[in-house]
Amino acid sequence: MPRILFHLVVPAAISVCLVALALPAGIHAQSDVAKVYKKNCVLCHAADGSGNSSSGKALGAKDLASSEVQKKTDEELTEVIAKGKGKMPAFSAKLKPEDITQLVAYIRAIPKK
Amino acid sequence: MKLTRPIVCLMAAGAVILILSASRDTRAVPSYSRQTGLPCATCHFAPPELTPFGRKFKLDGYVFRTKPEITTEDKDKKTHDSALHLLEAFPLSVVFDTSFTSTSAPQPLTQNGNFQFPQDISLFLAGEWADHLGSFAQVTYTVQGNHFSWDNTDVRYANSHDLFGKPVAYGITFNNNPTVEDLWNSTPAWGFPFTASNVTPSPLAKAVINGTLAQDVAGFGGYGMWNEHLYIGGTIYRSQHLTGTEPNPGTGSPFNIRGLAPYWRIAWQTVTKNNSLEVGTYGMHMKSSPNAITGPMNGYTDWAFDFQYDRTIPQFKNDVLSFRGTYIRENSSLGATFGAGLASLIGHHLNTVQGNVEYHYGTKLSGTAGLFDITGTTDPLLYAPASVLGSANGDPHTNGYILNVSWWPQQNVDLAVQYTGYRRFNGGETNYDGAGRSAGGNNAVFLLARFVF
Repeated sequence: MPRILFHLVVPAAISVCLVALALPAGIHAQSDVAKVYKKNCVLCHAADGSGNSSSGKALGAKDLASSEVQKKTDEELTEVIAKGKGKMPAFSAKLKPEDITQLVAYIRAIPKK
Repeated sequence: MKLTRPIVCLMAAGAVILILSASRDTRAVPSYSRQTGLPCATCHFAPPELTPFGRKFKLDGYVFRTKPEITTEDKDKKTHDSALHLLEAFPLSVVFDTSFTSTSAPQPLTQNGNFQFPQDISLFLAGEWADHLGSFAQVTYTVQGNHFSWDNTDVRYANSHDLFGKPVAYGITFNNNPTVEDLWNSTPAWGFPFTASNVTPSPLAKAVINGTLAQDVAGFGGYGMWNEHLYIGGTIYRSQHLTGTEPNPGTGSPFNIRGLAPYWRIAWQTVTKNNSLEVGTYGMHMKSSPNAITGPMNGYTDWAFDFQYDRTIPQFKNDVLSFRGTYIRENSSLGATFGAGLASLIGHHLNTVQGNVEYHYGTKLSGTAGLFDITGTTDPLLYAPASVLGSANGDPHTNGYILNVSWWPQQNVDLAVQYTGYRRFNGGETNYDGAGRSAGGNNAVFLLARFVF
């Protein structure tokens, strides 16, 4: 490998990545609840709430727009998020009550998208 | 008690009876579990085999959690203060392995029926370090070395955005073993066998990507998974010899990477509720000087293909049937070794085929049958005669099978019985080493008790 590549390009690439590390996590404008959803829910429920992520399919994650989910009351949804249910873990130790309340509202808005 | 073959067979039979009497429900709590609040079985069919969720957890940088953290964040962006995201629970885990190994024929001048308590102890710093930054970092104590040493490590930063209207998860990785950054169990670092004896003879020939460089390199790379289907990754490696002096003088090390050694990985996966399929290719190119950092070089280029298919069977209470396989083609130009009089020709190749099928009975029990076959260029200098470990005819041809049964009475306790059988070893079935040893003499029974906490 040419020496110039080793001495210039590689350190430059590493530097760019380290700068990327230092950048704020969400450089795009995003509401707080959207960030909470992305950080905690997307892994299984997918960005659109469909549950069609690879891990969501394997675990049988619910489609948040489905009537099965939407017919639940806000209190029931809050309890599922806080305490977990089935394969879904509890988030009460991580999320504040107001975050969970906002998530419930976010879930309610999914079918309207 | 003398551990004769009948006694070993009885012990194995006893273990199998225990296994068959097991029920299915299990729980466990290593450091990722402490962080996520999820049982081991969410990420693993059986450790270290990753489920689709486990692969996504790794892809996302080991940072998903449901447990509290110490945090400060300036949401208004009105100050110049940094945010803090720190796990309240320190992400430390322990693996304690104790084992028994017996080969069909004793290795000369050694005692057969080898009991190790422990075989090794590993400490893991495994979990979220900061926002978007996490690790799988392992140090391992072995009885043979009588010290802790750095083991498999993958520290990664991960994030996600949209690309062409589809999600792309991407990140950078610092690691010390080509393929340790991979997501599937069809590549060498996390491939079958998932546990193994450390006292049985190993075949002479091994491709450089097949574990030869494990913990002997330092790598920096990047990866991306587009639309949860297409995975592309690459890492560049330099030599970093454990216990070696720094900067690296090269002496005492068979592989000293000259310049950079690139590793590449392309895989395509599809996941449905009950099926997970992956097909891919990976490989690396390396120029290396044995015992030196200047002068003649050896060149290695490994091309590999792999696949993995996991089938969940709802009719059998979601038991999982897994098929995995890989083929590695190594072309090498051993100019330095030839010049030193340790190879009889410069151009070599090596073909490695590994495949296995595994049935997971719930999360409590798994049985695996694997085959392996190594063939390559015959070279009586490179593969020289030597008692047990050498080759009488210079042929690296080795093949055989591995049978493994693992019982997980809890998700963090593994009791395993493994049998390795050789049909050919280092080019021969009988007197393969020129000292009268047969390939079958290396057949081995391996019993393991592993505790993860």
